Amino acid sequence: MIVIDSASPVPPFEQLRAQLARQIQDNTLAVGTKLPTIRRLAADLNLAVNTVGRAYRQLEEAGLIETRGPAGSFVSASGEQGRERARRAAAEYAEVIAGVGIDTDEAIRIVQAALTNGTAATPPSRLATSHLPDGGRDA
Amino acid sequence: MTDQSVSPAELKGAGEWLAVHGLTDVQPTPLLATRLAVRQRARLAAAVLLAAFIIAVALVYTFARPHGPAADGSGSYRHWSLLVLTAVVAGLVLAQSLLDRRVRQVDRRVGATLPRRAAHPVRPGWRTVLGRARAAFAVATFAGAMLLAIGALTVLDSTARYAALVLLIGLCGAAVVTVVQLRHVLTHPVVAEDEASLTTDVVMRVEDAREVTTPSLVWCLPVASVLDTVPGWWVFAWCLFVALSAVSLALITVWTGLAARRRGTPLAPR
Repeated sequence: MIVIDSASPVPPFEQLRAQLARQIQDNTLAVGTKLPTIRRLAADLNLAVNTVGRAYRQLEEAGLIETRGPAGSFVSASGEQGRERARRAAAEYAEVIAGVGIDTDEAIRIVQAALTNGTAATPPSRLATSHLPDGGRDA
Repeated sequence: MTDQSVSPAELKGAGEWLAVHGLTDVQPTPLLATRLAVRQRARLAAAVLLAAFIIAVALVYTFARPHGPAADGSGSYRHWSLLVLTAVVAGLVLAQSLLDRRVRQVDRRVGATLPRRAAHPVRPGWRTVLGRARAAFAVATFAGAMLLAIGALTVLDSTARYAALVLLIGLCGAAVVTVVQLRHVLTHPVVAEDEASLTTDVVMRVEDAREVTTPSLVWCLPVASVLDTVPGWWVFAWCLFVALSAVSLALITVWTGLAARRRGTPLAPR
């Protein structure tokens, strides 16, 4: 089930993207599953077509779904590759953390902030200014 | 808000509907009551519409029926009557579409009042909503009726041929109405706010699809036209066809009911 809460501070496209991504990653939506068309899902959820389109586009960019022309959007077999990419990124992140000497709790907080914001998090100012050799520009 | 427009009787009706479908753990909500009420009204209007259609077919047939030995040959046929009949069929399709549109409008209106909207990540398709058995039954029923109507066209008697033509046009109208209604049932947006209302939405669709594919109009149409003109073998074949269809429909209904009970899901078709 997908639920869009209009009272939530999280934008509708992000609610939709996150729920579909979670269902794909926990295999609730198996590889090859056909997703509803953008127009139909927009009608079901009472959202603008562009909103659903944006969520689908982001899922596509993340490699979780693929669009096969007029046949529609399907859960991509590269979903596993997406996980592998996430694992590799985490390993690289761990290397950076070790290199700059941040403790584990703080590193996890940075990741949580990034996940909550939906974008790369701006590290706490203390980190950016005191631990990074270049003043935190690349953090 | 829906709460203000829903009567206690409609809410009670929603509770009864849930109980009939084995959804005793689901609370009747104003959303469900409103959706069921508009469907009930639309169904009643559709039944009146079909009755009016059958009467119209009978009237067209009776008034334009060729009489006497001079009736043979195309010149004696009142072609205008077939045009009138075609217009009646078009009117039926249009009226049914308007009824479906009214249901969609009410769904959209009550849906717009929901603070949360729920949907399926994988939309139930025709196999889930209608089921293969009922889809095959619907196709076979129309195919059988069409074949019999075409069979009546081969009869030499011109009156019987005219009646068969009336029946064929009526059957085409019934087929178009069924397709229009099924399309509506399968494609209209989900109106749900949680798991329970999502389930009731599917059950409502299944029930609507079953209603649409019950061939009551198909079975009734020959009574309005051909039965007093076609030879005995045709009447016997039609009675056999209706009996076989009724038995098939009963078997499918029992089978799907048992399958649903086995799965523990309300109205699960296959």
